[in-house]
Amino acid sequence: MIKEKITILNENGLHALPASRFVKLAEKFKSDVKIMKNGVEVSGKSIMGILTLACEKGSNVVVTTSGKDEKEAMDSLRKILEGQD
Amino acid sequence: MAKERILKGIAVSKGISQGTVFVYETKDVKVMQTLIPSMYLEKEIERFLSALERTKKELSNIKERINAEIGPDFAQFLDAQILMLKDRDIIGAVKKGIKAEKKNAEYVYHGVLSEYADKLCASKDQYLRERVADIWDVGNRVLRNLAGFTHASVIEVPKGSVLVGHDISPSEAALINPDHVQGIAIEVGGRTSHTAITARALEIPAVVGVEGLLAKIENGERVILDGNRGILIKNPTPGRIQFYKGEIKREIEYQKMLSPFCELPAKTRDGRQVDISANIEFSIEYAHAKKYGAMGIGLFRTEFLYLTRRGNPSEEEQFRVYNELAKKMKPDPVIIRTYDLGGDKIFSDYHEANPFLGWRAVRVSLDDVDFFKIQLRAILRASVNRNIRIMYPMISTFEEIKQANAIFDEVQQELKKEKVDFDDHIQVGIMVETPSAALMSLQLAAHVDFFSIGSNDLTQYVLAVDRGNERVSHLFDHFHPAVLRLIKQVIDAGHKAHIWVGICGELGADPLAIPLLIGLGIDEISMSPVAIPKAKMVLRALTVPECEEIATKALNFRGANEVKKFLRRMIPKKFPGIGGMA
Repeated sequence: MIKEKITILNENGLHALPASRFVKLAEKFKSDVKIMKNGVEVSGKSIMGILTLACEKGSNVVVTTSGKDEKEAMDSLRKILEGQD
Repeated sequence: MAKERILKGIAVSKGISQGTVFVYETKDVKVMQTLIPSMYLEKEIERFLSALERTKKELSNIKERINAEIGPDFAQFLDAQILMLKDRDIIGAVKKGIKAEKKNAEYVYHGVLSEYADKLCASKDQYLRERVADIWDVGNRVLRNLAGFTHASVIEVPKGSVLVGHDISPSEAALINPDHVQGIAIEVGGRTSHTAITARALEIPAVVGVEGLLAKIENGERVILDGNRGILIKNPTPGRIQFYKGEIKREIEYQKMLSPFCELPAKTRDGRQVDISANIEFSIEYAHAKKYGAMGIGLFRTEFLYLTRRGNPSEEEQFRVYNELAKKMKPDPVIIRTYDLGGDKIFSDYHEANPFLGWRAVRVSLDDVDFFKIQLRAILRASVNRNIRIMYPMISTFEEIKQANAIFDEVQQELKKEKVDFDDHIQVGIMVETPSAALMSLQLAAHVDFFSIGSNDLTQYVLAVDRGNERVSHLFDHFHPAVLRLIKQVIDAGHKAHIWVGICGELGADPLAIPLLIGLGIDEISMSPVAIPKAKMVLRALTVPECEEIATKALNFRGANEVKKFLRRMIPKKFPGIGGMA
């Protein structure tokens, strides 16, 4: 299991479009993906969950990936959150 | 025989059509609560899953069509909707709910969605609160499928139809097939509504804002839709049908008569060249512009980028649109107007009492520099095609030009640093549409490469008339000498400063105005593509001295009606239809 604290740098926060990309990407991995903000944790593979977290640019989240491909999952998901993809 | 009824609305897209009504309606589903016996709970879950499956197919179809016909950028919001549909948390919660509560799928699903919707509604973020509409968009599709309703989509409209509805959502409007849809009439909307813009782009006659339309019209009725007068005629009398048959025939013959003018140069009889270019709203309209003989794009409105999607368009999206248009029009010029909407369009929390005098157009851009820079970068990147020009709307003071140009310079420096190629001789101009800009045009001319007169707004500000207000709209007339005198002042100022002056308001598309504008010395007239052949025809029959005489006289009348009366007399009889059009 990998746990990382990430600050959302994506220009648009983790709103609908980046959130869609995040979920689509998360679904490609076998690992379980979770995002936590202010003590609320949701599945990284649920767009509704992510939207309810209201992650604006600059918010801090904790992303957890666990499973066979947890490292690859973390590396590519981090890129979306940091707005570098 | 049933009585003829004429339903009035706002004319937003010209033309006349006769067709069979296709009522496009999205029914809201009432959610009932029923108890499901334990032995049927698994079946209920299956029923829910297969409704999801059907909905997924519907959305994928729509997405494919939008992808193919408009471009992937417009389909993006559907991705979010499809993901909402497949959301495992929701599916899990519904399955669990059905089993635990022993209730029907509709009831449980509705409850689960409401929970999420409530959470988003409570968010401080306006953007997230607006996503609630997405949730219910998807949710209602699923509920309709659960109820066994077929969702009428505009894809299914048969040939020869007049599409009638309350409103057409952007995702559905994108699917309209102009070979099947002969006319559009909806209950809501105005000239700049999404449906209106789409109809004009596809050249489908359309009337919007027809109150109580659905209550008065039935599926399968034969109707006449008159997009010139803004009416829909139910049970037309034989006389009316005859009249419109004649009208349609005349229109076709008229177009035929005009069509040779598309190809001909826009030159007066004595050899003065006036550039005739096109106003367009969608990049795909470049084809119309070319077909009708435009010599460039005199006004590319970028509003659709902001109106047809959720959130603001990224630099990349904008770049693709601008670049595509520039490529298609090369080497002819393309003038891109920067953001020209009210602040309420990007900040939905924002409302104001007097939007026309408020925070809009360049005023918004200058206040939100990051937002402005995104657009400027996209335009500059597309300027590698060497035919792009940029235009700021609603400039009212000299400081605004200075500020805008400073930001523009900054963006150029940034691009240079990034080694991104762009046209560093790009022309930068302004719309002259406020009285202050017109009055100060000589002072402003030193800081820009061109002026384009926005006669619609200029008229509204000079005459202090809101043309959307029925009680005063009769006072709106761009032939008012007050407006014409300002136009003269702007053209003279431009020429004194050696810059070119064009016009992109509706005045330019009026054949009556052409001798006047030539007489005042206009260099370019930009209009909707369809109006071009007629403008060329008129222009080619005139000489500069006679136009100058006409202009001098026109400026000295006391009011708009005197000007028009005079112009109608002056326009020679050899132009059939022109007197009638004006």
